[in-house]
Formats: sequence, structure tokens, C-alpha cells
Amino acid sequence: MLWVDKYRPRVLDKITVHEEIAQNLKKLVSEQDCPHLLFYGPPGSGKKTMVMALLKEMFGASAEKVKLEQKAWKIAAGTRNIELELAMLASTHHVELNPSDAGFQDRYIVQEIIKEMAKNRPIDSKGKKGFKVLVLNEVDKLSKEAQHSLRRTMEKYSSSCRLILCCNSSSRVTEAVRSRCLNVRLNAPSAEQIIEVLELIAKKESLQLPPGFAARLAAQSNRSLRRAILAFETCRVQQYPFTVNQAIPPLDWEQYVSEICSDIMKEQSPKRLFQVRGKIYELLVNCIPPEIILKKLLSELLKKLDSELKHEVCHWAAYYEHRMRLGQKAIFHIEAFVAKFMSIYKAFLIATFG
Amino acid sequence: MSSDIRKWFMKQHDKGNGGSKQTTVSQKSSPNVPEKVKEDEGNFQRRKTSKYFAVASDAEKKSTPLVKDEIAVEMASSKRKIQKGDDNIHNEVKQSPAKRFRKVDVAADDDDFAPSCEKKKLTDTETFKKLKSKATGLMKNSVGGVKSDEGENNDKDVETPVKGGGRGRGASGSASAIGGRGGRGGRGGFMNFGERKDPPHKGEKEVPEGAPDCLAGLTFVISGTLDSLEREEAEDLIKRHGGRVTGSVSKKTTYLLADEDIGGKKSAKAKELGTTFLTEDGLFDMIRKSKPAKPSGQNDARSKTPVKKDKLLEKDRLVKQGLKGTEPSLGIKKSAAEDVQSSISHQKRKVKAGDSLTWTEKYRPKVPNDIIGNQSLVKQLHDWLANWHTEFLHAGKKSTGKKQSDSAAKKAVLISGTPGIGKSTSAKLVSQMLGFNVIEVNASDSRGKADAKIVKGVGGSTSNSIKELIDNETLSINKNRSKHQKMVLIMDEVDGMSAGDRGGVADLISSIKVAKIPIICICNDRYSQKLKSLVNYCMLLNFRKPTKQQMAKRLMQVAQAECLQVNEIALEELAERVNGDMRMALNQLQYMSLSLSVIKYDDVRERLLSSAKDEDISPFTAVDKLFDFKGGKLRMDERIDLSMSDPDLVPLIVQENYINYRPSLAGKDENGLKRMNLIARAAESIGDGDIFNVQIRRYRQWQLSQAGSFASTIIPAALIHGNREILEPGERNFNRFGGWLGKNSTMGKNLRLLEDVHIHILASQTSNLDRPNLRIDYLYLLLKQLTDPLRVMVKDAAVQTVVEFMNTYSLSQEDFETILELSKFKGHPNPMDGIQPAVKAALTKAYKQGSSTRIVRTADLINLPGIKKAPKKRIAAILEPVENSMAEENGDALLENEEGSDSEEADVIDQIGETRPQLDLHTDNRKGIHVQLDLKIEDGKSNSKNTSASKARSSGSSGKVGRGGSAAGKRKR
Repeated sequence: MLWVDKYRPRVLDKITVHEEIAQNLKKLVSEQDCPHLLFYGPPGSGKKTMVMALLKEMFGASAEKVKLEQKAWKIAAGTRNIELELAMLASTHHVELNPSDAGFQDRYIVQEIIKEMAKNRPIDSKGKKGFKVLVLNEVDKLSKEAQHSLRRTMEKYSSSCRLILCCNSSSRVTEAVRSRCLNVRLNAPSAEQIIEVLELIAKKESLQLPPGFAARLAAQSNRSLRRAILAFETCRVQQYPFTVNQAIPPLDWEQYVSEICSDIMKEQSPKRLFQVRGKIYELLVNCIPPEIILKKLLSELLKKLDSELKHEVCHWAAYYEHRMRLGQKAIFHIEAFVAKFMSIYKAFLIATFG
Repeated sequence: MSSDIRKWFMKQHDKGNGGSKQTTVSQKSSPNVPEKVKEDEGNFQRRKTSKYFAVASDAEKKSTPLVKDEIAVEMASSKRKIQKGDDNIHNEVKQSPAKRFRKVDVAADDDDFAPSCEKKKLTDTETFKKLKSKATGLMKNSVGGVKSDEGENNDKDVETPVKGGGRGRGASGSASAIGGRGGRGGRGGFMNFGERKDPPHKGEKEVPEGAPDCLAGLTFVISGTLDSLEREEAEDLIKRHGGRVTGSVSKKTTYLLADEDIGGKKSAKAKELGTTFLTEDGLFDMIRKSKPAKPSGQNDARSKTPVKKDKLLEKDRLVKQGLKGTEPSLGIKKSAAEDVQSSISHQKRKVKAGDSLTWTEKYRPKVPNDIIGNQSLVKQLHDWLANWHTEFLHAGKKSTGKKQSDSAAKKAVLISGTPGIGKSTSAKLVSQMLGFNVIEVNASDSRGKADAKIVKGVGGSTSNSIKELIDNETLSINKNRSKHQKMVLIMDEVDGMSAGDRGGVADLISSIKVAKIPIICICNDRYSQKLKSLVNYCMLLNFRKPTKQQMAKRLMQVAQAECLQVNEIALEELAERVNGDMRMALNQLQYMSLSLSVIKYDDVRERLLSSAKDEDISPFTAVDKLFDFKGGKLRMDERIDLSMSDPDLVPLIVQENYINYRPSLAGKDENGLKRMNLIARAAESIGDGDIFNVQIRRYRQWQLSQAGSFASTIIPAALIHGNREILEPGERNFNRFGGWLGKNSTMGKNLRLLEDVHIHILASQTSNLDRPNLRIDYLYLLLKQLTDPLRVMVKDAAVQTVVEFMNTYSLSQEDFETILELSKFKGHPNPMDGIQPAVKAALTKAYKQGSSTRIVRTADLINLPGIKKAPKKRIAAILEPVENSMAEENGDALLENEEGSDSEEADVIDQIGETRPQLDLHTDNRKGIHVQLDLKIEDGKSNSKNTSASKARSSGSSGKVGRGGSAAGKRKR
């Protein structure tokens, strides 16, 4: 088993990174009533872990007995019937699903499926809790329509059902939904916290972890605990015993993006743009989400860029990311960003060096 | 201004000619014929007249004065022209007396151009000769039936192939050289994508105007960059003046038009063949000279090709002598000719009176041979129809089996092809010719399913009467076959059967099955979804569009029958514009004939530019046109049309290819900055297009579609259009197909695969992660864990480690592949590199071995209730190993087998019952399957319990599940 999963804290008491929040949640749950919750924070900050631990706190060990269902739904939407297939993790007390999987039909999921599930009280409550829990992941990826449909559901069926929402950025969750929830922000863990966790793991695995190496792992992880632990294990696979200066292998796709970046910096020509397009396609085909490509690309470019240009380039990156979300064919917008960057950078080079 | 005068001048001639003729005709033949008719008559005859008249020697005498007269008229127009005229005279003075044939020519042309007053002054002999020649022409006419001037000329072509140009305006053409009929296959200069520059003095020279046919019979090839004209402009200019433009140099080429860049392929060929080179200025001079006195231009031309000229001279003479020889004998029959003439003019009047008939009806082919093109198909149709009765009625009764096996013999025919190419006409003609009685049912009749209730009655609806028709045939044939009129049913426009004609096609098919008469179905689109079933019952005849030459020939016949003066270039242009639609061409021609009696190339061009038929433009052509280096000159509505030709595909092709163009907007651009800027703007606009597209599709804002195509296609094209260049070595310099579609579907597939992995990992309950994180963070480590041991460790240990790891995350072999696949990047080493094949094999083997004990949680195979309750038997079937497990077990009694499966089924159901009482099993792959739904902690136990339990019940089949699965080579799920 991977270390990330092996050393994941299962109960609220064992959570070390956001200890305070964990304790507050525990108090909240023990008082028998629980509001809707919205967890948000950057990836790798422990949202899922927190939610699972919270569920265990609420329902006891039976919350861990989950099974996976691939459920097909038929929804009558006006004149046509929509068939959706949705994977959900369910225990007797909670259901976890990812409504944004349905793409632009997500509102049907919210309107029909979630409502359907929210309506039904749990049969076997055994006096413990009078409600069941719906865990919705990636709420920020839900369309506006879906989120609007969600808020009514939240109010109407609040007696029988609690929603726990997870997302990366609360800014993409509508105000209305946010105000109906208790918002819990989980920060990205600090470098010290990450090092702490890494050392804990090293101890349990009885490995020698040089402190400098741990610090480097933490630094490279971009404050994502998950990534830090994964990188740690990758290094373990690659080389043991550790040395302080041991190379930390970059993720395969990150490496590819930085190659693209150096391609762009080296030459700004239609030909190069064409090659870059091919490489971006390669990333997309390998299921790297376009937003992440763009973000990574920008951060790589910024590393090498003259400070004069940074502001402008950031502006354009934001501009094209926004358009990418409005649009559908991500490659068009990433390519447009690259083209824009090339033209800016080329002009800059010519102006500076002639 | 000069052109105005020119027109006026021309008018004069025409009127004059008409006038003079009028007098003669009215004297000799029918004074009461209305003037208009006579005038037409005159025009019609005049050309022939002049031709024969040209032979007469006394024409020489009047040539000079005539030219002078012309100059006198010209005097009014401009000084420049006078100058020209003088030049011409000088030329003539220098060259003329010996060159008889040139004089002849002059005479002929002057005949066209001389003002009426001049005509009247002419000697009586001339008039007499004219009449005589007219008579010959008429004789020929009457003999040849419909055969016309055109036909005669063609005949001459056959006799003297060198003189191929003698068409259109007879006399002038006959004098000058070689215009190959076949040589003009490729219209327009071949586009040379990357190379051609703009003309250096573009638009600086004044483009001359000349006599409309001054280049008739000449064939040009354009090579390289011209001095001031774009190639297309030059082509247009030549065509306007009656010349031909072909793509490559051949023997028939008269001139190679080139200003520079001598040394290309064309010029080399031209040198080899001895073709004359002509500069742009030379061409202009030629055209200019033609204006005041036409022959001089041709004279110039001729003097440049002395060898050919002599040959021509010879041939001309021969032909003319031959004609002369026949003339006297024809002359005797003058009176007879007069009669013929009067009768013809009478006929003409009739034609005029009955003009309410559209030309499409009037000139509908009367015999199958008149149909343009597709002759072999018509023949096929004919044969089929002729043999129909013997094949299906008589032979069919004797040997039904044989008939059906013969696939070539179908009881019905499906004719398909674009509109206006004569499908219905040929069907009708062929049927009529074979003496069939034609019943036509087309879209204007209701063709719904026949009302089944009315068995006997007529019922009023067409479909019922069809049914009746088909049935009745049986009776009548039995009664008196000999007398009986044969019938054929033509179902026109079958692809138009729609809303109102419910069940129409199905009904038609059933009709075909029982039909006792042949059925001919006609449609435009044979691949239409509606006709899919019908196609199987019909013999397919796919009519093709006739070539423009074929069409032009036929149009010429029509034009002559209607006394229209059209040259063939114009008709070819017309044929091309209507895109093979003969009906449309005729309609256009008729429409134009209302306002014009002489139709020239330019008329056709202008007229049809606006009313051009919508044709299907392939998205590639559309993108080519938009991004062409002259794409900036397209009108906005043209651009919209092009971009809308396929609003989905065109933007994709644009997006794929816009980087490849070197924008002409950038102009001089040493460092490529401007180009980069333009590309960035275009890319942004393409992005806009995508955003529009989302609005259109997702929110159904279809009113935005035009804005969408603007953003996605037209703006990028406007920015980037230019010459295409290749970016990768070895690439072909043509637009690629949009790559997005393919990439997107690959991405979709990979996402699904990733989702499978995700589900398996979730089901293992070791982790609870979401999909993006799986790809972004986990996958790399997973890959390392899966492949690194194979590379560094000893084979057995490695395999064991990996299989254990896979089991922990309940990854299957396919998931392993998926992880590998998703980690491949172009230009990076394959993650499987460096792993011995033996190790790979061992891994696969170990994995399969392990699969007998492994529990892969198969959440993805289980559907929840409420969808479909799988029948009991199905579960049994699933659990039974599909392929036999082992030899000794195969020998087991069937009974035992059944029992075993039953018990196992019970097992499984019990098991499921523990967790979810209403759970069903539903799977579509018939593998040996072992389902385990319990929680992980209990896995081991329950599994062993299961096997042991079944063992207790029936020893034979107990191991079957496990071993069966492995034997089948499939893993268990």
C-alpha cells in the first residue's frame, strides 16, 4: 500500500495537520446536530481525510464499510430521456458522489438524483442520527445551473439529509450555497507540518530521513502534503539510503510542461507554436486537466521570465484561463495563450536586444 | 468612354446588317414576315453568308475602302484610335497584296462591321453572292435537319484539324490558328501555392478593351508572374476576348504568355514545341489593335508564326476550293432554297409565337441518344426494362429460386444523381421508346402507406391506386397479353418521401416485391437514410454530371435553334457555373435571351455571379479559398457562405492550419514579429469562436451562429490569409484535417480508462481519491511501483512484488496497461523500456495464476436494481465457466454440472444478500466470474468459505469457477 494511504489518519483525534479544526468538528458532531458543511482548500490539504474522519466520528465504524456502485439513472428531462451513469461510494449512512462527472448535464444529477436521495430518510437509524449524509466532491466544477438547483434541495430536505461539499476554491461556489453551509477552510499545510509528517512516516517505516532532504521534499511539494508523501515514496523507490542532495524526480507531466516552457522560451515562431500544440495535445490526451497545464505552464514561464514581463504575462494567463472555462475546447485557449506569449516575448526580445 | 462608343459602333453594324438583309430578304421571299423575325433571320444567316462570300474574289477590291470607312467612323471616338487605325493601314499596305487570304478575312470581318450605308453602296454582285451563299447555307440546313452552323464548322474541323478554331464567329476564326477542342481540359492556371509573387506593376497598366472575339481560336498558357496582371485577371481578359486558357503547354498552344521567369517547365516545353512567347504588353497590343481593325491583331499573330500560317493557308485554300466546287450546283437550286427559306422563317415565327413553353420543356431530349452523358447507364436502363417481362413474369414462374439468387436482376431500378441532369427524362424516354405506358408518381402526390382496410376500393389515395395498379396487372396479363399495353411505374423523388408519406418507403418495397410491372425509382441522394432499405431491392444507377463540354455543345444547339449568338466559351462558362445542372443552364439561357440577343462571356459571368447555384463546397475547399493569398478580396457574403458551408468542420480545419500560412497582411516582416502578432490575434479569435460555440450548443443560442463563424473562421482568415508553407519536413502542403476531433476522442477514451482505474482503486478501499488527483499526483508513483521492481529486482521477487501491489489496489492487467499508456509522452522513453520480455511474460502469468484466488471488487459490474432484474438463468450462465475448465471435469455428468451451478448461484445470492438484499448481478461479459461484495476484512474468509461450501456440495464443479476463469484466460472480476 502506498504510504499516502497507509498513514492517512482515520479518526479526528489523530489528525495532526489541522488539529484545531478537527477538534472543533468533533465538538460540533457530538452535539447531535450538524449543519451542512463546505470544505475548501488547495489540493493536498486534507479535505477528504477530514471528511472521512468526520463521518467515522458521526456514524462509527460502519461509515468505513463503503461499497462502490456504478448506478445508471434514467432522467426524464422535458422531451428527452437522459441516461446517466454515475459511480458512488455508499455506506449505510452516507453516499459520496462526484456530480460534476456528468459534464454539462450535472444539473440533472442535482435536480433528480440528489433530490431523490435526500428525500428518503435512512431506514435503519437505530436512534443514532436522524439523517444521512451526502458528500459531494468538486462542487466548484458544478455549473451555475446545478448550483442553483442545489440550494433549494439543501433547504427543503435539511431534516433528513446533510450535505458535505468539497471543493478547491470557494470562489466558484455561489454565494447562495456558501451561505447555507458552515464553511471550513483547510489551509495548505506549512513546510514544517509537512516535514513533521514525513518524519513520522520515516520513523514508522524505520527509514533514515536526513532533515535537509525532508525540507527539500516539503519545498518541492508546493505545500501539498499528498504530493510530498508521494514524492517521498518515489525517492524511496528510486534510491535508499537517502542523501541530502538526492534528486527528487519531478512528476512526468510536470517535466513535460517544463520542456514545453523551455521550447517556448528558446524560439518564438509559427513552427515552434505548432510543435508546442502537439505537446499540449499529448498532455491533454494523457488526461492532465487543462487548467493545471495552463497554471503549471505559467509558473514555469514566470521562473525564466524577465520581471518586466511578469505582470503582463500573468494577466494574459488569467485572461485565457477565464476564456477556457467559458469555452469547451481547451486546446484553443492554451494555444492562444502560447501564441500571445510568443508575440509579447518576441517583441520584448527585439526591443531589448535588437 | 471608349467602350461606350465601341458599343454604339457595334450596334450600328448590327442594325446595318439587319437592315440590308431586310431589304434583300423581303424582296426575294416573304414580304409579310414581321420585321423582328427577319432581323433575327438576318443575323442568323449573316455569318454563313460572310463565310461563303469570303471566297469570292471581288471581295479584295473593297477591302481598303472599307477599312477607311471604319476609320472615319472611329475618328469620332478618339485620337489614339485613329493613330491605331493608321498603323493598321500601314501594316496592311506593307503586307497585304500577296496575302490573299488575309484580305478574305478582312472582307469577312468588314462584312460584320461595315455600316449600313456602306453596305447599300456595295455592288449588286455582292448581294447576289450573298443570296446564293445563303441558299447554300439553307440547303445544308434543310438537309442536315437540326444541324446548324456549329455543326458545319465541326465538320470542317474534322476535315482540317489544324484549323480547329473555326467556331463561334465563323470567318474570323477560320483564318487563324489552332484551337484544340480537347486541349482545354484544365481550366485556369494551376495554382502554384508557395511560389508566385505579386505582379511588380500591379494595376499600373491600363487594361485594353478589344473586339470581343479578337482572340478567338487562340490558345494561351500563362506562365510565371506577369507584369501587371494577376494571373486570374489575365485569364479573364483572354476569355473575354474569346481565347482559351489552358494549364499546360501542348502542340495546340498558340502562345505562352510570360513576362519573366523563362526557364520553368512550361517555357521549356514551349521551346521544345516551338510555341510563340508573348509578353503581357504583346497581349495588350493584340487586343488593342483588334479594336479599330480587327484583322491586324490576327495579322500580327500570324506573322509571328509563319510556318503555321503557310500550312493554314494551304488548308484554307483547299477547303475553300472544295466549297467553291459545290457552290454552282447549289446555286441552281436557288428557287428551291427560297422555298425552304420561307418555310423556315414560317417555322421560326411559330416558334416565337409558342414561346410560352419553357426551354427546358421545349428542348427536352426526344430520343435517348439526345440525353447528355450517362449513355451507358441509359443503355443499362433500356436493357433492364426491355428484359423485364421475360425475366420476372415468365421465367420467374418457372424457377423462382434461380431468380432470387441472381443478384444482378432486381425488380426495380433506383436512379440517383444531382438535380437537373436528366434522370426523370431518361426514365421517361426509355420507357416510351419501349412502348411502355408511363405512370409517374412524384412528390406532389401523397404517397403514404396504402390504407390496408381498403382491399378492393379505389379509396382515392394514390398509394391505393398504385397497389391496385400493381395487382390489376396480373389479371390483365392473364387475359390478353398480346393486346395489353405494358405499364411502368416511375416513382419520382423517392427521397422526398417524408412526414406526409408515412411508411411510404416500406410500402414501396412491399410493392416492389409483389409488383407485376417494372418500377423505376428516382432520387437525388442515394445515401439518404430513408432509402437505406430500398437500396437493397433496386438496381442502382448513379447518374453523373455531364462535362461542361457536353453541356456546352447541347446549349449551343439550343442557342442556335433560338437564334442566339453565343460563343462557346460563354456557354462553357455557363455550364460550369450551374455545376452540371442542365435544366438550370437552360433556364438561365432563356432568361438571358429575353434581354440579349448576343451573349458574351462577360454577360454570363456577371449574370451568374449573383444567381449562382448553391453548390456543395467541401470544408477543405472553403478553407483553401478563405486562406488563399487572395482571400482578402472575397466579398463578405462569400466568406460567410464559405464558413457556413460546414459550420462545425471549417473552424476545426482553420484552427488546425492557421499557423501554416504566411500572412500577406504582415508584408515585409524580417523577424517574424508581425506574423506572430497576427497569429496571436487569430488564435484569440478562434478562442472566441469556441466560446460562441458553447453558447450556441449548450444554451441553444442559435442566433449567434453567424457571430460564431465570424470569430472562428472569417476573422482568422482575414488576418492570416496568405501563402501556405509547411512547418514540418515531409509534410504535404495541403490543409490538414482538424486534429481536435481525433485527440478529443482519444482523450475521452483515456478518461474512461482512467475512470476504470479510479473505480478499482476506490473499490479497494485503500484510498479515497478523486480522478484528477489520481492522474496528477498518484499515477507517477503507481507507475514506479509497478515497473521499477521489474527492472531492478530478480524476476520472481519482482513479479511477486508487483502482483501484490496490484492486488492491494485491486488493479487489473488492463489498469496496468492504462497506467502505462497514460504515462507515455512523445519524446520521452517508454516506461516499459528496459524490462525484459521474459519478465513481462512472467508477470502476466503470475497475475493470471493469482487470479484464481484474487478478489477483484467488481463494483463496476454491478448495476443497481430498478433497471433490470437479470433472470436467474443468466446468473447461472455467468457463473459457469464459458470455456471448459479441465478435461476431466468436462467428463462430468451434465446433471452434476447443473447442480453445481445452481448451488453456486445460491451461494452468490446468499453472499450478496448479506449486504444488499435487493442487489442484482448484471454483466455483459461472459467470463468466469467470481463476485465478492463483502468488505475487505472479510474477503479472505468468505471466499474460502464459498469454495469449500461448493466443494462440499459437488466436488466436480467446485473448482470450476476458479480454474475455469484462469483457463479462459480471463481474469476474474
